[in-house]
Amino acid sequence: MTRTSTPATLVEEIARAVTDVPGVAFLKPDLAGRLRSALATPERTSHTAAPPGVRLVRPQHPDGTWHIDIKLVAYSRTRAVDVARAARRAVTTCVASAASENATVRVTVTVTGMI
Amino acid sequence: MTAHTDPPNTPTDATEDERLPCGRLLSEVWTAWEDQADDPHLHECPHCGAAVHDLDQLQSAMSGLREESWDGAAPDAASLTRRVMDVVRLELRPGRPLPLGEPDEDLWVMEAVAARKLRAAAETVPGVRAGSCRLRPSPEQGEGGVEVRMEIHAPSGVALAALADDVRAQVGHAADRDLGMPVASVDIRVTDLIDSSADGQEGRD
Repeated sequence: MTRTSTPATLVEEIARAVTDVPGVAFLKPDLAGRLRSALATPERTSHTAAPPGVRLVRPQHPDGTWHIDIKLVAYSRTRAVDVARAARRAVTTCVASAASENATVRVTVTVTGMI
Repeated sequence: MTAHTDPPNTPTDATEDERLPCGRLLSEVWTAWEDQADDPHLHECPHCGAAVHDLDQLQSAMSGLREESWDGAAPDAASLTRRVMDVVRLELRPGRPLPLGEPDEDLWVMEAVAARKLRAAAETVPGVRAGSCRLRPSPEQGEGGVEVRMEIHAPSGVALAALADDVRAQVGHAADRDLGMPVASVDIRVTDLIDSSADGQEGRD
């Protein structure tokens, strides 16, 4: 647990932490795209898939600002703002181990669906 | 109050990755996986492996949804399909991000998600059918909140002003209870009257 997180693994840790938040159904996984893909096969080019629902921008300097953008789908029985706040807390906790003490962590959470 | 910082970008990222970097079509990979095809490439290729993992996650989410929703009751495929398609529609036309919670929290909900909740709330008023529901952040810099403009079909023979008040109250209540979205105003527009005697037994949706 003392190893340094690489960018990829940190994103994965964030994704896991958010997914574990009660009320989160899943991170926005381009579900529509996946379903569209399953139903049709239009010719389109592709790019390397980024981890869905999590965008992480590290600061250029250790004491800079981390930007983390979360897009999630919540369960309908939940209150959107409560889930979003819990997700933000989970992300902040997750990033705290990787960020320097003086760094700022800015977390944006968007509820993109409720099911 | 300019309280909320910049809204998150409207989703424009084109992640239409139907064709994987290895050249395989995603649908082909999924079909092969579902058919348990004996294709060494599927086991070796990291891209195909990731795609299968995605499908696995989707199925896990669906299983979780089923457990969350039905509590041991018999699965309802139609309901499940409807809810999945709701998600698909929301992704295709999500609308704009709207603020949740307190100013500066940087928490958002997509317009289509909020509108669906508010329309459902309006329809809890007997005889009311909700139509268009447009939401936008209040231009008033100081108050924040969201302006709601909803069109409804009202039952004939009722006092429309009182009915609109009821709808407004339900919408405002749902915005807080279900979303936590601050509301600046709720504008109700009655666009049609419906004969409640003929409509009473019809289902919604």
